Amino acid sequence: MNHYTYRELREAAGFIFPLLFFVSVFILFPVLGSFWNSLWQDTPFLTNKFLALSSYARLFKDGLFWEATRFSLLFVLVSVPLELVFGMIFAIILNERSSIRWLLRTVVLLPWAIPVAIGARVWQLIYNYDYGPMNFIATKLTGAPVNWLGSSLGAFFSLVLADVWKTTPFVTIILLAGLQAVPEDLYKQAKIDGTNFIQRFFRITLPIVKPIIIVALLFRTIDAIRIFDLIYVLTGGGPGGATTSISLYGYKYFLLGDFGYGSSVSIILFLIAFGLAFLYIKLGKFREAVL
Amino acid sequence: MRRFYTFGVTFLVLFVLFFGCKREKPILTFAVGGAPSEVVYWEELVKDFEGVTGINVKVLRQPTDTDQRRQGLVIPLKGKQKDPDLFLMDVVWVSQFAASGWLQPFDTYLAGDTTILGAFFEGVIEQVDKYKGNIISFPIYIDGGLLYYRKDILEKYQLEVPKTWEELVKTAKLVQKQERKENSQFYGFVWQGAQYEGLVCNFLEFLSSNGGKMVDESGNFTMATPENTTALKFMHDLIHSYAISPPNTFTEMKEEEVRTSFQRGNALFERNWPYAWSLHQGEDSPIKDKVGIAPLPRFEGKECASTLGGWHIGLSRYSDMKEEAWEFIKFVTSYEAQKKLALNLGWNPGRKDIYDDNEVREALPHFEILKKIFKNAVARPNLPYYSQVSEVIQRELNASIAGKLEPKEALSNAQDRIVEIIQVYEQ
Repeated sequence: MNHYTYRELREAAGFIFPLLFFVSVFILFPVLGSFWNSLWQDTPFLTNKFLALSSYARLFKDGLFWEATRFSLLFVLVSVPLELVFGMIFAIILNERSSIRWLLRTVVLLPWAIPVAIGARVWQLIYNYDYGPMNFIATKLTGAPVNWLGSSLGAFFSLVLADVWKTTPFVTIILLAGLQAVPEDLYKQAKIDGTNFIQRFFRITLPIVKPIIIVALLFRTIDAIRIFDLIYVLTGGGPGGATTSISLYGYKYFLLGDFGYGSSVSIILFLIAFGLAFLYIKLGKFREAVL
Repeated sequence: MRRFYTFGVTFLVLFVLFFGCKREKPILTFAVGGAPSEVVYWEELVKDFEGVTGINVKVLRQPTDTDQRRQGLVIPLKGKQKDPDLFLMDVVWVSQFAASGWLQPFDTYLAGDTTILGAFFEGVIEQVDKYKGNIISFPIYIDGGLLYYRKDILEKYQLEVPKTWEELVKTAKLVQKQERKENSQFYGFVWQGAQYEGLVCNFLEFLSSNGGKMVDESGNFTMATPENTTALKFMHDLIHSYAISPPNTFTEMKEEEVRTSFQRGNALFERNWPYAWSLHQGEDSPIKDKVGIAPLPRFEGKECASTLGGWHIGLSRYSDMKEEAWEFIKFVTSYEAQKKLALNLGWNPGRKDIYDDNEVREALPHFEILKKIFKNAVARPNLPYYSQVSEVIQRELNASIAGKLEPKEALSNAQDRIVEIIQVYEQ
């Protein structure tokens, strides 16, 4: 560190300051504020008092909170890998030279451009018991309509499908950027060496785009663990609370007016997201990959 | 340089827009939302009020969604803001708002004059608008669950309107079997079973019509009684064993889904709120003039019941214009204003004397039945933390009618969780 002059350090600080400022104002302070709220009993119809960590004690004994946590984690585990696989397939197709590439790109990116709430509403119509197209197909195939959102498992996979449809384009864009950074020469040389497509994918493409994959995974995991809007519109957390995510669970307390307990749910969610991000950065050897 | 000027001018315009319209004199603000026709009604009423009193009122438009309307009020009230001065509250929020100390009690304004109160339904005032013995709000619209039936279909099979649930099942099964020959989507009875507040309202009607109670006389929750278990089992059976209610009852059926299903001609009986009447009778409705209403059925040997809903007007304790606000409340709860509500919107006023008005009776003959129903409507538990209790009940009920939990188990789970909630919030 000593080989920097005072002037260099001062200039560096000047460059970093705006970033630090915005991170503090928009990220750090709100998180600390929520944490501070979570230490208080903050319910309009009760007197405000300092509870220290007892909201967290209540949270750990709250079975419904654990159910919500289990649901959110399962949702990440199932939906994110699917999004990655489909995203990769689309990215490879879109990276090929073709006269209709512009059209394909527009079509693939379309779901990402639609607001989540509207997309969810459309899926609700698709799953609708009486007149949804899913049941049109089910009736043709099996002779009886299926109540897609009516069982825990059905509702879970209906949500996963809607989420994969919605966010695969996002993964596609990121991976496409990564694929375009792979030098053409490498493929040409490999072809001369007589490799097939699979070999080229695993030996050339994958190692080069790995850091980009980690970025895509990171964004998707953090987004998926916080899922709210899709569930709010599509299932409302049902049937019987089976699809309640952590965000939805916390939101319900804010709605009731129990801001302290709601804040403690948010803080735990923040910690889970933070832990996952940390894990990705460590496991992905992100530092070395980028530098 | 050109860009600089453009930017400067835009900034100036925005500045003037934001700060230029500073309020000259204080304006009474009234927060109201809901259907477009509802907001239009209030805007007209506000104009009349301004003409009569010279007090200016601004209508703050709120969204249609009930939860969002609540959020829009909780935030300014928690921040002790002067605006909005007046607002409409759903019947289940009133006690939370009152316990939070947000509502101005009206006793000093009433000054011992209780004749005004006599114009309203006594049961509603007692169950909802009183907090610690003080009047804290007034009913503007009233709601209660009703049974809608297809007059034409019952006539076709020469059947009576069912008085008991047992009769309803028998009638619905018979008709459903016949009607299915032509319409494969036909169901006997549609009601609200999705996981939301409406499910609790439906459950309260089933259990009350079986002599059950959610809360006993001393204020303790009694969820897992035999009466309530039978009622919940019956709700489950409507879908799964009698099969007269559609399988998506517990996933999709909220008010509007139920109403459209019935309005399309896909059901014989419907449980819904009174708002559905004017829509069923609308010009574009395929079932116009084929609909009748009746009190909801009861279990053999028990009394009918209807869940009390509706909206109440309240005055913020932080308002800086309480005298003017009181004038507004007197105006909107007056006979004329409430009669207009009935005639223009076809809604059900909070004042009971409107239901006997000749002109209203002529335009809305079903008000005769409504009056009887509202008189004995059952309120949901009146607690500041009701929403939390309801959340738990919804979850367990929904799991049970979905067939995931035995009714008895669901209700005792609900009971246990409610006890935990009470321990947290009752201090």
